[in-house]
Amino acid sequence: MSNDEFVQLKDITKTFPGVVANDDVSMSLRRGEIHGLLGENGAGKSTLMKILYGLYSADEGEIWLDGERLDMESPQDAIDAGIGMVHQHFKLIPRLSVSENIVLGMREPAAAFRADRDDDRGVLSALTGNSVVRGLASRFTLGLDEPQAEIQQLADDYGFDLDVTTPVWELGVGERQRVEILKALYRDVDLLILDEPTAVLTPTQAQRLCDTLRKLTDEGLTVIIITHKLDEITDVTDRVTVLRDGQDVGTVETSEHTSDDFARMMVGRDVLFQLEKEGVATGDAVLDVSDLRADGDRGIEAVSGVDLTIDSGEIVGLAGVSGNGQKELAEALVGVRETTDGTIAVTGEDVTNAPPRSFIDNGVSFVPEDRHEDGCAGTLSIMHNAVMKAYTDTEFSDGLKLDYEAMEAYAETLVEAFDVRGINDVRDINAGELSGGNLQKLILAREMLREPDLLVANQPTRGVDVGAIEFIRERLLEQRRAGTGILLLSEDLDELFDLSDRILVIYEGEFVYETTPEAATRRRIGLEMNGGQGAEQSAKVAADGGQSDAR
Amino acid sequence: MAGLAAGLANATVNASTVLILAGLGELISERAGVLNLGVEGMMLVGALSGFVVTWVTGSYWLGMGIAITAGGLMALLHAFLCISLNSDQAVSGIMLTLLGTGLTTYFGNDWSGRSIDGFPEVTIPVVGEYLVEIPILGSALFQSTATDYAALLLVPVVWLFLYRTNIGLELISVGEDPETADTMGVDVFKMRYLAVILGGMFAGAAGAHLSLAFNGIWSATMTAGRGWIAVALVIFARWRPGRILLGAYLFGLFNALQLYSQGLNLSLGPGAPLVGVVNPVLEFVLNPTIMSTYPYLVTLLVLVITVVRAENRELAQPSALVQSYSREAD
Amino acid sequence: MKLNVDVTPRTDVPRWMRYGTPVFTILAALAVSAVALVALGVSPVEAYYVMFVQTLTTNFGLTNTVAKAVPLIFAGLAVYLPLKAQLWNIGAEGQLFLGAIAGTWIGLNVSLPMVALLPLMFVGGALAGAAWIAVPAWLRAKLGINEIITTLLFVFVATEIKNYLVRGPLQAPTANFPQSAQLPAAAQLPDIPVVGYPVGIVLAVVLVAVTYLLVNYTRLGYEITFIGANDTAAEHAGMSKFKIYMIVLMAGGAMAGVAGVSELSGVQGRLRASFEPGYGFTAIPIALLGRNGAFQVMLAALFFAVIFVGGSSIQTLLGVPSAIVDIMQALIILFLITSEFFKQYSIDLGIERAPDPGAPGQPEGEV
Repeated sequence: MSNDEFVQLKDITKTFPGVVANDDVSMSLRRGEIHGLLGENGAGKSTLMKILYGLYSADEGEIWLDGERLDMESPQDAIDAGIGMVHQHFKLIPRLSVSENIVLGMREPAAAFRADRDDDRGVLSALTGNSVVRGLASRFTLGLDEPQAEIQQLADDYGFDLDVTTPVWELGVGERQRVEILKALYRDVDLLILDEPTAVLTPTQAQRLCDTLRKLTDEGLTVIIITHKLDEITDVTDRVTVLRDGQDVGTVETSEHTSDDFARMMVGRDVLFQLEKEGVATGDAVLDVSDLRADGDRGIEAVSGVDLTIDSGEIVGLAGVSGNGQKELAEALVGVRETTDGTIAVTGEDVTNAPPRSFIDNGVSFVPEDRHEDGCAGTLSIMHNAVMKAYTDTEFSDGLKLDYEAMEAYAETLVEAFDVRGINDVRDINAGELSGGNLQKLILAREMLREPDLLVANQPTRGVDVGAIEFIRERLLEQRRAGTGILLLSEDLDELFDLSDRILVIYEGEFVYETTPEAATRRRIGLEMNGGQGAEQSAKVAADGGQSDAR
Repeated sequence: MAGLAAGLANATVNASTVLILAGLGELISERAGVLNLGVEGMMLVGALSGFVVTWVTGSYWLGMGIAITAGGLMALLHAFLCISLNSDQAVSGIMLTLLGTGLTTYFGNDWSGRSIDGFPEVTIPVVGEYLVEIPILGSALFQSTATDYAALLLVPVVWLFLYRTNIGLELISVGEDPETADTMGVDVFKMRYLAVILGGMFAGAAGAHLSLAFNGIWSATMTAGRGWIAVALVIFARWRPGRILLGAYLFGLFNALQLYSQGLNLSLGPGAPLVGVVNPVLEFVLNPTIMSTYPYLVTLLVLVITVVRAENRELAQPSALVQSYSREAD
Repeated sequence: MKLNVDVTPRTDVPRWMRYGTPVFTILAALAVSAVALVALGVSPVEAYYVMFVQTLTTNFGLTNTVAKAVPLIFAGLAVYLPLKAQLWNIGAEGQLFLGAIAGTWIGLNVSLPMVALLPLMFVGGALAGAAWIAVPAWLRAKLGINEIITTLLFVFVATEIKNYLVRGPLQAPTANFPQSAQLPAAAQLPDIPVVGYPVGIVLAVVLVAVTYLLVNYTRLGYEITFIGANDTAAEHAGMSKFKIYMIVLMAGGAMAGVAGVSELSGVQGRLRASFEPGYGFTAIPIALLGRNGAFQVMLAALFFAVIFVGGSSIQTLLGVPSAIVDIMQALIILFLITSEFFKQYSIDLGIERAPDPGAPGQPEGEV
């Protein structure tokens, strides 16, 4: 081990039922560097870091920090070792204040009992020397005053612009992330792990974050950034470790490689898919959306005035950084999310704010982002899930009764048509037992074989094995030939380029750019996804003084 | 009239102590995220065990101690089922109420009808004699048993515990978001166990208060639904100790009004407008049986109102209430 | 030396466990209750003999069992159906009271021959039960307010309403007891000729069959099952959560109301302040035991009927307080929920020896 290898993960293996998340992965970090951990979804990045952070324990392998072997059984052990994590989904308690969130778990006793005070207090200092008294004091008192001042000072030093007495539920996304970082800083971590940190930030906020990270590493902190975004890697990191399908592909110096190199390392093939995409004559509009607005789960507007038309036989690709309203748009277009303004018409029929049933009856199909939460009932059989949208059809029910034999046959048709593997009896196996790829194929079969007029597919190939990905993409093109209009939301730009007739970019709830695969460049699309032309953007930022932070 | 008011005040305060004790215990448990519907059963177990021990040993302090332990033990079972085995909290609680009721009715058969000298009514030393002289409220508040005083004192104590200690902070965090708390190094299981057991101990004390201080007797199902009122009370109080006290007094007042309803006899004279409509309504509203529904109705109202006006986060229930937690839930 | 308890989630439940569980829980509950019996100096063997064998082999015992089973079946279904959609109808007892109240009023105030009066009473009871659950149902379906608390609160309100009515508007004018007048003969459930079982059992069995068919063979049943499995996906599928929740809860309320009428007109004969059978709460372990189907619910109800009848027998014959039955009920629930855990996780116990301090090369693996 060279003497500036600060942290080492050696041969880490971790398996969950049905999947090997980390397969003999090794990674090492130098002190003071910003190290990127790159890989597609499902490559094992989060799992590896959760092991480093003590939330999971590895089945095999070792972790070494500064020459010592770490044996961590809980996040507390990791914190004690100086490892801090800023999660993608913030681990904050909204009801408590910023400082309360930060000191939680540290059990600082009240000022009177703090052992590190050096003023002479006679009896009291004698008492605090006693371990029993200290133990009681740390449990039954609350030392918030000094820590709160320290935390406020820390926040001010790094320019965080936070009042640490505010309850967290009042804070916006960017501010909450800053609280997360403060949490780690307050605990004097030597290693800070950030999980997809810019996923929910505006470009201004993201820039600010990068500046902060630079400041921190200049002062000796080591940082790991987990990401799947190539521009983040090239902009900010010193070195990169790439994971692919649970294995590590290697660690390289960022400056010596291009985005293409990284992409290749992530994906493994130079040209992954060569799909036959012929021109298809498009027909009438299957979807007509005008000035659509909808709110997100937190009540803040997520879709801010969208106009969209999709013709029969057309695939419209939608690119965007997660959190810019695409999920909410997809949900609104299938009737699962209420809209606050605007109209939606499917094959000429006005379905604005109609219940999901109307959308389904009008020929709309949906492949949701979260297949387990929204796409299937895991505890029910394949057959039950296969007919999820079709069960009201007369072929399955006459009046009240359900025809189980017809349903079983239908399920079997789906399974065969879409090559869903691992099923011998559609009534016996539960949907939750299928692998990611097979479940996704089942869901696609269900949604596509209805011959929809409009298909909305949100990340249809995410977390799916490579073989299934090709299959799914072929089917999408086939559906396009059959005349379905498709809205394809994807974080995979390659996929969008390969499949779409048109590409739209969504940013902050609005479409900001439209192009075609022939005319577009990745550069431009990536830029638009992050807010648009650089010069214009910085001017806008200077003008509104970073007001766009409260999101 | 003053005599009536004083009588009402006395009855109110007397009725409230049980609710304060049981309510505070349930509050602690729910704040940590565990619903305990077994309060009624735990109170009965506390009442019987306290009574029996006092009868046998002559010491009501010992009786109270045993009652508290018994309540805590029952709660330990609830904690094990809900926290370690991830069982349905509602079902486990109802089971414990059934068990407590069954056990105490079964074993308490021989003990009904006996009576003991329980906690005597005492006044606070030195200032007590003056405080008692305060009109209306004086004898209600300041001539009470030790457990009545303890209940009052426990309100600020519980408040301090929750809001001014590290353990309290951790307990609240565990009821809001156990995964986050776990990440911060809080021992989620330990905190929840602690909260549930404390809740059971309070319930045991509440039951013992009934058999040792309120009445000096035991009879089967003597809690008469007060455990359920305590559960409602916690919701009514929006999980805040101070409001538990106010709610307990309010519910206690309803109880007191039931006792005094004959004496109240509120009605409009024959010449008053709308006599035909108002009087029957008044009679209905002041009917003691109908009045015993008020705690529940009022709780329901508060529940609906706070859910509908969801903006005020401060009045929301502990976010992780009724949800079980386990790490590595993948 | 360290005891190692390894808890791993199961991927599927072994057959013997799935079908054996109800049997094991009952046996375990009986075993532990035996302790309570011994504590009072009663031989468990003798007590269980009276409770089970005597009850099931004498005509008297069987008739009583069937009579007791009728309201338990209705109440069990009242909890079972909402449970299919993952909703807890804890308020069945209150809906039962409202059904009884409606049945009393109709029976006393409407003069019709039995053929018309009884069905009218049942319909009235069903409507009353459904009306009583309507508010908690709406609060849950529309606002997401937990139905456990709301239906429970409504039980206590219902109890007091019943108590109020039998001391006031419904009180029998003849004497000053807290009870209603005796129901006329036309309002009392007759027995099946020859067999001697109450007619209500026919309705109960029919309702069991209807529930079974509903859940397993109809579109509505498919929707209910789906919503119970994943309500978000169900909404994506176009199912109306509001509609299903309301239907399932109101149906539960109606059935609990029917339980009230059947008990009132078949056993009680009049509405009393002391009428607090607790069937609405017994319905909870019944629904849990019978979780897998309506017929299992019926079997569970029959079992509880046996122990209720057996319980009063051992009280009369052996002096054992009938509260032993409450203890047994509680223990059945206890063992049921414990067994839920074992169905989901498998436990491996192992003894770990401490590593030999002198041995070279520590094996890896504990991170």
